[in-house]
Amino acid sequence: MNLWKFSKRNMIHFFMILLMLPIVFMIIWLFVSSVYNYNSGRFSWVNWQFLTRSFELEGISFPIIWPIVMNTVVFGLLITVIDLLVAIPAAYAFSRLNFFGKGFALKFLFIMGSFPGITLLITSFFIMMYLGLLNTVFAVVVLSAAGMIPWHVYILKGFFDEVSWDLEFSGMIDGCSRFKCLYQIILPNMLSGISAIAIYAFMGAYGEWLLIKLFIFDNTKLTLAGYLAKVIFTDDDKVTNIGLITAIGLFYTIPIGIFYLFTQSTMMKVTIGGSKGV
Amino acid sequence: MNLARLKKKSYPYLFLAPFAILTLMFFVIPALATLWMAATNLDRKMKADFIGFGNFQRIFADINILPIIKVTLIYVFFSLVLTVAFSLLLAICTQYLVKNKKLGALYRVIWLIPSTMPGLVYVVFWKYIFNPTPGGFANKIVMYFGLEQPISWFNDAGLLIIIIAGVISGASGGMILFSASINSIPEDVYKAARVDGAKDRSIIRDIILPALKWPIMYVTVTSTIGLFASYNFILLATRGGPVVDTTTLALYGYQQAFNRLEYGYGAAISVIVVIISLLLTLLLFRLFDFNKLIRPPRIED
Repeated sequence: MNLWKFSKRNMIHFFMILLMLPIVFMIIWLFVSSVYNYNSGRFSWVNWQFLTRSFELEGISFPIIWPIVMNTVVFGLLITVIDLLVAIPAAYAFSRLNFFGKGFALKFLFIMGSFPGITLLITSFFIMMYLGLLNTVFAVVVLSAAGMIPWHVYILKGFFDEVSWDLEFSGMIDGCSRFKCLYQIILPNMLSGISAIAIYAFMGAYGEWLLIKLFIFDNTKLTLAGYLAKVIFTDDDKVTNIGLITAIGLFYTIPIGIFYLFTQSTMMKVTIGGSKGV
Repeated sequence: MNLARLKKKSYPYLFLAPFAILTLMFFVIPALATLWMAATNLDRKMKADFIGFGNFQRIFADINILPIIKVTLIYVFFSLVLTVAFSLLLAICTQYLVKNKKLGALYRVIWLIPSTMPGLVYVVFWKYIFNPTPGGFANKIVMYFGLEQPISWFNDAGLLIIIIAGVISGASGGMILFSASINSIPEDVYKAARVDGAKDRSIIRDIILPALKWPIMYVTVTSTIGLFASYNFILLATRGGPVVDTTTLALYGYQQAFNRLEYGYGAAISVIVVIISLLLTLLLFRLFDFNKLIRPPRIED
């Protein structure tokens, strides 16, 4: 009878844990599989060979991973910097200045944010080909930044909206110009918003694989995401390749997982409409 | 004097300039070029002749188009309904039914894992579970229970797997939004309801669900827009196959261009996807008061 009461009271927890089982299984599997040799059925480090040398998969050779890691860091930082340099001034104008066509521009911004990016790939490909920028990192950097920035402007606008006008009034009474107000008063008051966008931009760059797959043909210029995507596309559903793929996948996921743990409180400050605590 | 005024007037545009240039180069021009390309027969021969609405006529005559529209509708409808329902379930369970706040938050964090882990890695898990060879996880189970032949799961039920995987990783976005809304309901409301003898079921039906009306609407419309254009998971898991059994309209446009090198035709399909997305976005504007987002500045230059 007591047991019945206990299980009735805790039914919700049983239910929640039952629902979570696949996720827990997935995480455990990812770690186990990365050191499991599906050929011999034994545990081994052979899947991690990409750390020390280049390897072949289905006849295509993949380079050793460390230069790829370097590419990823450079690529991520480049996109983050461009993103911030472009998005912050634009968001400031949208939030705190008046200009002709603001309502229309804001609507256009919203449309761009929800525009299906896949539909622009075809012509972007031709434009890059025409400019002779295929197989260059530059092409991927600007395209991926251009895809992310509309949303980031939108979110940053929310943070600018939150900064009290009284702060700016008092700044102006003390003789600041509006520009001086921006960088001495407003920006320091929304550092959490700026860091959230920086994190988003870096994470977006870290996850970008389709642009890399389409625009970069040289395997030594890949980023980690592009590398993993190429490996996945090369694999032809053989179970024996899964150990290698999960090892690369884990190598790719662990840094971003740690990064996420440290930054999630910052990222959670962003909700719909960009204003905090909606 | 006039110079000073000009300086003031041009001030906002200077702030907008980098964004405007980037947008013009890599959004507006590609978008216009897509429209142009959709009216040409550009293909692997790399020769573009203007053919007007020829590509659009071709879409109507394409024998693949009806199955693809069917796949797209099934995919969007079921993903949408299941994602919203599941994220509601998770939000109500973790925020209201689980009384221990810390445990509730822990459950939510675990549900965030599938959406925060890279899609590339997430898809590998599903590809292993439903691998068509006897070594795949699901096949190991069914063969342990006596099945002779391995099942090629993605061929037989690819769309179902794609929808389920999408729901599991997509539920957390709605969950976060909904549980924030539930959290903002004052505790006194529940207390008053309980004094009046309300059970959990009627509290959920009469207090929580009405409070979630707008968040649910928002998630529904934005998810529909997102689902119509989504391709990541499908492209990695099945590449649209077998034949077109898991090909959505957006993916079909991509494949026409990049696999079959029918650039003009692919662009025409993209134009249709864009039109559908735009209509949905306009619906979003109508449902939510967009003008209140445009606040006038309180300092006049």
